[in-house]
Formats: sequence, structure tokens, C-alpha cells
Amino acid sequence: MRHIISILMANEAGALVRVAGLFSSRGYNIESLCVAPTEDPTVSRLTMVTTGSDEIISQINKQLAKVVDVVDLADMTRGDHIERELLFIKLALDDVIRDELSACVQRYGAEVLDERADSYTLQLTGTGLEVEDFIREVSALANILEVVRSGAAAIANGPQVLKLSN
Amino acid sequence: MTEDHAQDYSHPLAGTTMTGSDVIVQVLADEGVDVIFGYSGGAILPTYDAVFRYNKEHNDAIPLIVPANEQGAGFMAAGYARASGKVGVCMVTSGPGATNTVTPVRDCMADSTPIVVICGQVPTAAIGSDGFQEAPVSNIMASAAKHVLLVTDPSKLEATVRTAFEIARTGRPGPVVVDVPKDVQNWEGTFHGAGKLPVPGYRQRMANIGKNKLSDEKCQHFFRMLAEAERPLIYAGGGVINGNASNELRDLAHAFQIPVVTTLMGIGAYDTTEPLSLHMLGMHGTAFANYAVDDCDFLIAVGARFDDRVAGVPDKFAPHARHIAHLDIDASEINKVKAVQWSHVGLLEDALKKLLSHGRKQEFSKDYSGWHQHIAELKQTYAMNYDRDSALIQPYAVIEEINKHTKGAAIVSTGVGQHQMWAAQYFDFKDPRQWLTSGSMGTMGFGLPAAIGAQFAAPKKMVINIDGDASIRMNLGELETVTTYGLPVKTVVLNNYGDGMVKQWQKLFFQGRLSASDKSLHKKDFIKAAEADGFEFAARLDNKEDLPRIVKEFVDFPGPAFLEVIIDPDAGVYPMVGPGMTYAEMITGDFIPNRYENGNGKDQGPSSSEMF
Repeated sequence: MRHIISILMANEAGALVRVAGLFSSRGYNIESLCVAPTEDPTVSRLTMVTTGSDEIISQINKQLAKVVDVVDLADMTRGDHIERELLFIKLALDDVIRDELSACVQRYGAEVLDERADSYTLQLTGTGLEVEDFIREVSALANILEVVRSGAAAIANGPQVLKLSN
Repeated sequence: MTEDHAQDYSHPLAGTTMTGSDVIVQVLADEGVDVIFGYSGGAILPTYDAVFRYNKEHNDAIPLIVPANEQGAGFMAAGYARASGKVGVCMVTSGPGATNTVTPVRDCMADSTPIVVICGQVPTAAIGSDGFQEAPVSNIMASAAKHVLLVTDPSKLEATVRTAFEIARTGRPGPVVVDVPKDVQNWEGTFHGAGKLPVPGYRQRMANIGKNKLSDEKCQHFFRMLAEAERPLIYAGGGVINGNASNELRDLAHAFQIPVVTTLMGIGAYDTTEPLSLHMLGMHGTAFANYAVDDCDFLIAVGARFDDRVAGVPDKFAPHARHIAHLDIDASEINKVKAVQWSHVGLLEDALKKLLSHGRKQEFSKDYSGWHQHIAELKQTYAMNYDRDSALIQPYAVIEEINKHTKGAAIVSTGVGQHQMWAAQYFDFKDPRQWLTSGSMGTMGFGLPAAIGAQFAAPKKMVINIDGDASIRMNLGELETVTTYGLPVKTVVLNNYGDGMVKQWQKLFFQGRLSASDKSLHKKDFIKAAEADGFEFAARLDNKEDLPRIVKEFVDFPGPAFLEVIIDPDAGVYPMVGPGMTYAEMITGDFIPNRYENGNGKDQGPSSSEMF
């Protein structure tokens, strides 16, 4: 099953290597990884999408909690949460089916960022699943030149937050 | 960042200006470090100089012990830590100095041994320039150590070194690497005398583990399971030793008369000479311990982790246990391999004490005499045994003979392989921290440097390294370290002219093709090697009649002593539970009875490609 794990991590030298390295050294999947500093410059927030059985996900969470750099973590998938991913997609305009493409862009709420004689750059924000659906539909309508995905970011609904200190 | 620059004016040196390298040495001294194992080199020179100056002013309070190879220094620190329970310290230079410690660092991680490795690093400005003796130590060690701290801000050096000790010794102990660029060692700044890095999440989690006490409800549940049980069994691991909970374990076992098996890492957690002790379980455990695991109906795992050498087939491990309880300091070990019905994550010392006091308060008492009778019979019927009439020297007999002198009181280290298992099986261990072996990583070459480190931790104790001819080769250079420092370390090489354990597996699973494991044509003369390194006692024992006499001379020799014993090259390690096999499929060899019809290897289990 697909899980989104959010991690608050010390912004220390090599911390990302240690957190991400845990996944490769224990054979866990990383589907996507998205990391940036928070309002506190000493702490970064990392969102990791992974897949595995309940046992594996439970191990991932427990093993992450042993990494010294990890300040706090939460399996977002276990609670009510919001997930968003940013997609840039560049299309070739040679044999594009324009009307259908515009309809698709509208239906997904995508945005045209750049329009040239020979290329077309779109942006979409949505869940990982929406992004995948959109790419699939667009690929039937135009020739994809490039796909850039940010990886999912997630936040819990309600007052629940990851804590810098308990 | 609040704790970062805390000033402790109670420290006599607080507020003084010193170099980074002096800061490192001062923090080591404050942490109670009384020996450093390490090898010098360009990027760590300032700190070696600081140690020299410190020792000149402080009557050699922190001797620097120099190995032949940095791997030796790492294992010396590990041996010191295992024997003393204190954090061992290893100090090496950048690049190859640091990478040579990767193996001991990983070994310490795998066996939860607290050490701090201080590595020199090229100057900050040169990092990433492919400089001379540069290696990305922080990256390399990230996947091997409990934690790595690369000092990027010299003003945090003091807090960093102090925090390294905290991380190494707290929770499940482990190795911490501090990577210190040369310019940080040469920096001058104010010494504060106190303060640690914030490590907010980690410190909070450690505090939570400490606060997680066993509730009365959970104790009641535990004793309900114990009351229902007819055949309870404690399965104790290295966590009992690391958690300094051996006394509490013994008290619990005594109070309610529960027999005890230990893992390889748990040897010494419970006095092996006691009637309730069944010694070691697992792949090469005693047959009676493994049969007791098969027969128990309540298994109490304490600081043990159901690893593949114990529970090769997790579903069939302790198959008749209606309940399994698991106490550990590491939450990730609960339900990792084997689902349990009752668990507690916390300090073992506290938890075992609480169980004992709860049971006493409830006046818990149950008659397990039928089970004790059964265990006594298992111990008698399936006792360890070997070919006592052979004309060749049997390795088991050598251990038994040494044990007659040491009587369970010596510190014993080993390499990895057959000799390691024979030592585990045939020595008595009355106390924890006497058995030093590379359990999880299985690092050949561990024994000699670990013995050296242990001798520094326990200068008055007898320290014996039981080694194999192949294992000792791995760190043979450390023989010289023994004589350089005049250590009374005793080394026994059980020579079977090859990689005995590899040969045993090749005979069992590869139709006897001894690929690259036979050393009978090698020219090595171990006695000459020991003599060349200054051993005044270096003897070869190859005649069975001489065994008692030479072993006595060896054990009684007051200084460094080296004994090579030419053993039966075909001696095997029995019992053996093959990889991926159940205890019912245990091979017991020709001299230990087997209670199962399908025992003794009639079913050879999985294909060789799947085994490890």
C-alpha cells in the first residue's frame, strides 16, 4: 500500500543522506522524496512516498524514529490529510490534438505556463494520482518532451502538526 | 540551540581559550575516557599533539594505544567498551585511517557496542577537492554508524564531542563518528565546560523510553500468562548485558524458577553454571537449549531479537509457545521477526525489577518442578559431547582444559568461525561482559584487538583470545601491540589449517568441494610469528598427552602468551541447525544424541543458493 511519511529532520550536514540511506540500506522503496527547510532554519521537512505491506510500513516508521537527525515523523496516510504535488510537463506541438488538449487542461485545472511555436509547457497541482492520470491522458494527445514532478508534499488536516519539541 | 553555549562555571576551565584539539581532549577527559586507541596521520596531528600535551601535564591519564592497523584500534575500543560498559574511544586520521575503521564501526552497530570514533578530516576549505587522504567519511559512515557528526562550525565542536558520547551510550548503544576537519582542530575559541547539541527528537525519544515504566496492568497480564504456563522459558540476549540488567534477570529467574537460554550475544547475562541455565540456543546452541525452546509454552524474550541464527524459521520457532513476551529497549525489534502477545519497550533493568516486585507483591508462586525435571533430563541426555577417544587433539577438549583453570571468571574474546562456537559452547561464564565476540557482523580478526582493549578495561583480569588460524591472520599485526604494551593477554590459535566453518558448510552443502578454504599447504609458522613479535611464551601443542601440562603453563605464564594447538582438522561444530531449518531438523553429530527421527541432516533443507 502507498504511504506518505512526513519527517521533520535536523538541518545538519549529511542528514538527508542518513534518512534516505536508511531506505536503500534496508531495501525499502522510495517513490518520491520532497525536502525543504521550514520556518525554523535548523529544521527541514521531508515528505516521502513509499509502498509496502503494513509490517514493512511499521518497520519504516520505527526505523526512521531511530535516526538521530529525525526530530518527529508521522505517517500521514493513517490520518486525514491533504496531499499535493507540482507537475511541469513540456509537450511538442507538431501533431498535438489542440482542442482535446485544451479540454483536458481545463478539466484538470492545469495551467499553461509557456506557449511557443514548437512547445507547450503546462503546470498542474494535484495528488500524485491526479498527476499520474493527467500525464496518461496528455500522453495520448501530444508528444511529451519532459516531465518534472516535485514529489508529493502533505499536511494533516486540523490542528495536528509535527513537533519541533515535545 | 539553547543548550549550545551554556556556560558551566563549575568547570575549572570554563571560559578559557583553547584550540579545537585541546577542546576535544578536555571533553574526552571530562567524559571519563582513560585510554584512546588510535593511529596518527596528517589530518589528526593537532589532536595527537593535544593528547601528548595533556598526558604530560596529567601524569599519562589518557594513554594512546597504537595498533598495527586502524581496524585494530576500532576493535580495541570495542573490546574495551564490551568489557567495561563504558564508551570506547578510537582516534584516527582522515581518508584511509577513517575507512579502516568502517568494519569495527559496523560491527559495533550490529552488536550495539558504544564507541566514539574521532576522525581527522582535510581542512574545511579542501573538502570535496579530492584532497590527499580525503574520503567522504560522513557519507560512508552514515550507513554504518548509529550517528555521524561532521563538525562544520568550530564553535560547536565542544558540544558535538560531548553529544557523541551521549548518543553512543543512550538507548540502544552504538558507534558514533565525529569527523573533525583539521582547521577546526587548529581553531581557537572559548571552552564552556558544558553544553550539548540540541538533538531534540532523539533526546526526547530517549527520555520517553526511560519514562516508559511497566504498568501494574501489564504486570498482571504477564503473570496471568506465567500462571497459565507449565513450561516457561527466558530467552535472554545481548540487550540484558548492554542494559546492565543481569542481576535483575537472575533475580527474576530465581524468584519464579524460570529456566534461561541465552543468545550468543547474551552469554554471561546469566551464570552458565547455574542449574536453571541451558546455555546458548540457536544455530550452534546446545541441543538441550534448543529442545527446551521447542518444548516451552511461554517464551520470555529479554533484550533479544529473534535473529536468523536463532529463529531460522520464525513461524516454527518456539512452536508450542502459547504466549511470547518481549522486552526490549528498541521499539523496532518488537514484532519485527516474530509476532508477540505481550511487549514492553523500556529500560530492561527497570522493567525486570518491576516484574519481580509485582510478582512478589502478588505472592506469585507456581510449581514448575515437572518442567525442571524435564530440563534436567534434557541437559543430561543431550549433553555437549565429542570424540573423547580420538588420538587427535579435539578443540572442545582444549576449551574444557582452559576452563578448568579459568572457572568461568576469565574474559574470553574470539575471532569468527568454528573456534568461536566451540568457545561459546564449552566455556563457563559466570558474569556479563566476559564474553566478547563479533555476533551479528561475524568479523574475522575481532578477537586479538578486542582482547587488547578488554585488558585495558580490566587490567587485573585474565583475558584470553580464542582464535582460529584463519581469523587471527586478519589482524595478526596486533600480536606486536600485545608485547609493545606488555599486556598479559593470552592467545590460543586452534589451528585446523583452513577456514574451518567454511569447510564444514562446504562438506554439508557443497559436496565437499573446499573452494579456497584449505590452508594445509600454507607456509605460516605461527610460533615464529609470535616470537618475532616478542612473545616469550610461544608454544605449539600437537600431542594430546601434553594438553593438561602445556595449558597450565600457558595459563600460568605471567606475561603475553601465545599457544598454537594443532587440532583435528575434521572436528565440526555440533549441534548445528542448518540455515532456514527448524530446531527439529538440528544435526547433533555422532556424539550428541538426537531426539528426532528426521534429525542429523536427513533433510538438508533449502538449496545452497538460498542459504547464508
